[in-house]
Amino acid sequence: MSGSAQPVGRSPWEARAGFAVMVVLALIMVLPLLWTLGLSLKANNELLRDTGSVFHGPYTLENYGSILRRAAVFRWLGNSLLVSLCTTLGVLTLSSLAGYGFARLEFPGRRWLFALVLFGLAVPEQSVIITRHQMFSALHLHNTYPGLFLPGLSAPFGVFLMTQYFKAIPVELDEAALLDGASRLRVFWSVLLPLTLPAQATLGIFTFLSSWNDYWWPLISATRSEMFTLTVGVASSQINFAQTSGLGFLMAQAVFASAPILAVYVVFQKYIVRAVSGAAVR
Amino acid sequence: MARVRLDRLSKRFGAVPVLDDISLDIAAGEFVAFLGPSGCGKSTLLRMIAGLESVDAGQIHIGDRRVDQLPPGGRGVAMVFQHYALYPHMTIFENMAFGLRNAKVAKAEIEARVAEAARILEIERFLPSKPGQLSGGQRQRVAIGRAIVKKPDLFLFDEPLSNLDAALRLRTRLELAQLRRRLDATMILVTHDQVEAMTLADRIVVMSDRRIQQIGTPMEIYARPANRFVATFVGSPPMAFLDVTLNVGADGLARAALADGAGVQTAMPLADLPSSPTWRLGVRPEAAKVVAPGTGLVDAKIAFVERLGDRTLVHLRLADGGALTAEDAGTSRAAMDDIVGLAIDGPVHLFDAEDNAHHPRAPT
Repeated sequence: MSGSAQPVGRSPWEARAGFAVMVVLALIMVLPLLWTLGLSLKANNELLRDTGSVFHGPYTLENYGSILRRAAVFRWLGNSLLVSLCTTLGVLTLSSLAGYGFARLEFPGRRWLFALVLFGLAVPEQSVIITRHQMFSALHLHNTYPGLFLPGLSAPFGVFLMTQYFKAIPVELDEAALLDGASRLRVFWSVLLPLTLPAQATLGIFTFLSSWNDYWWPLISATRSEMFTLTVGVASSQINFAQTSGLGFLMAQAVFASAPILAVYVVFQKYIVRAVSGAAVR
Repeated sequence: MARVRLDRLSKRFGAVPVLDDISLDIAAGEFVAFLGPSGCGKSTLLRMIAGLESVDAGQIHIGDRRVDQLPPGGRGVAMVFQHYALYPHMTIFENMAFGLRNAKVAKAEIEARVAEAARILEIERFLPSKPGQLSGGQRQRVAIGRAIVKKPDLFLFDEPLSNLDAALRLRTRLELAQLRRRLDATMILVTHDQVEAMTLADRIVVMSDRRIQQIGTPMEIYARPANRFVATFVGSPPMAFLDVTLNVGADGLARAALADGAGVQTAMPLADLPSSPTWRLGVRPEAAKVVAPGTGLVDAKIAFVERLGDRTLVHLRLADGGALTAEDAGTSRAAMDDIVGLAIDGPVHLFDAEDNAHHPRAPT
């Protein structure tokens, strides 16, 4: 559709008014981000006097330079990347296999097991956190990478999404492949899995974002600074606000922590929009 | 090409019986159509032969091998699905080559076989395309091509024409008949369309109510239906039935008398017929003619007229409430509510109280 196309039944004035409202709402949404970005580009001593100075120069990249001179930040960034990627790969693998099983295989108790998985959607993380903490403690998994990403692999939504997606693929494709002499594994790998790529992309992006932004579990599990993820590391700097290098530096850290996420949004925005509009499961 | 033998096959879905004691022998190179209404079990039977449904009882033999315990890929069959079932993410070439790659056929051989099938089906230019870029008819050709390249012992077609529009269906039907001659393979077609079955098959297996009702050549099925179901299901418009009583006519042949006493001479010796409390006379439209009132067997009122161009179908209502369709010339001047005479000028069929048909002995 061209940019000048008018929705049916709406006058040009109504369309323009609607557009103006959308622009205002978008500005309101983006204002805190711009504020953070602006503060990150100001010298700390200037911000101590007046944060209003953000609206005029001089601007500096000194805060970003300070980040790059701190080795811990890169360690946290690496930790976040590793944990998020492991969680994402694990969720995609497990959800795809479980989804295929629930959608295609006949086995005793299938419906009950699926209902149990769905029940997992209703269990808040807070209710299991103490038990999980004790279990991970007993298994000596705290302050380890598996300790950080293993809880994220329990993804009932992923299993549900992939089950529904596999169900939507005509079973005749499986049958045609079986008649073509393919094994069950080959049917899954060569025929069905490629057809679930839109759902995989959606699930992968949301899992990555959720894992990257996770704060609570890394805060509990990672007690040593070198095992902090970026969210916990940045927050630890903010908690010790009095000892930090200042507001501009904190804001630069926040921008630095958000940059990978923003990149993911920009690159995969098509899939994200499709997912939130429900198109991915059709 | 291989002989196919089905031996006392039965199938249940849970507590519901779907097929009951099905036995059938298909000669090598024969084209057989499973014909029947929806839910009669014909597709289930085809899927059992393909290995996509398990067999509860009985055996399936393809060639010299018993195959009912083998996986679908090990039976030497290829199937063309109703909805094509092409792999959407693969090109047409990859779709056709998929089965051969699974069978570890050499790359050069795969390319040669795909090229040959594509040439036969005139789909060479689509080989680099994806299925989504093709029309329904083109996809159907690809589905057939995917089956051809495997050089199977047995081809299975599950309502392959039902998704095509009328013109394309006619064309594809002709192409399928030509392809059959070229491939000289054993083929089974499942269809609910009697025209497909009549025009394509060497023999038709009419199925209903979980069982085989009749096996025969298209003309045997049409001219000598085994029972009232087959007589009704095969033929369009369907055979009409009139309640009659039997008495002896000329040369000892049975004479079927309508309620008002008018009689129709049949070709069945009365002595050859079993005793039955009731009888029905089956009349196909081409055996019933419209004549001037008072000059036919009985008079009837025209309930409806269907003008088909080359002929006219005249739906008649008899005085005793019986209904019957008669065929008239394309230029017929018959009109609704007219009173006309009904003449029987062609073979008629007799059905006993249990709906079994009785025909004169076939000429030897």
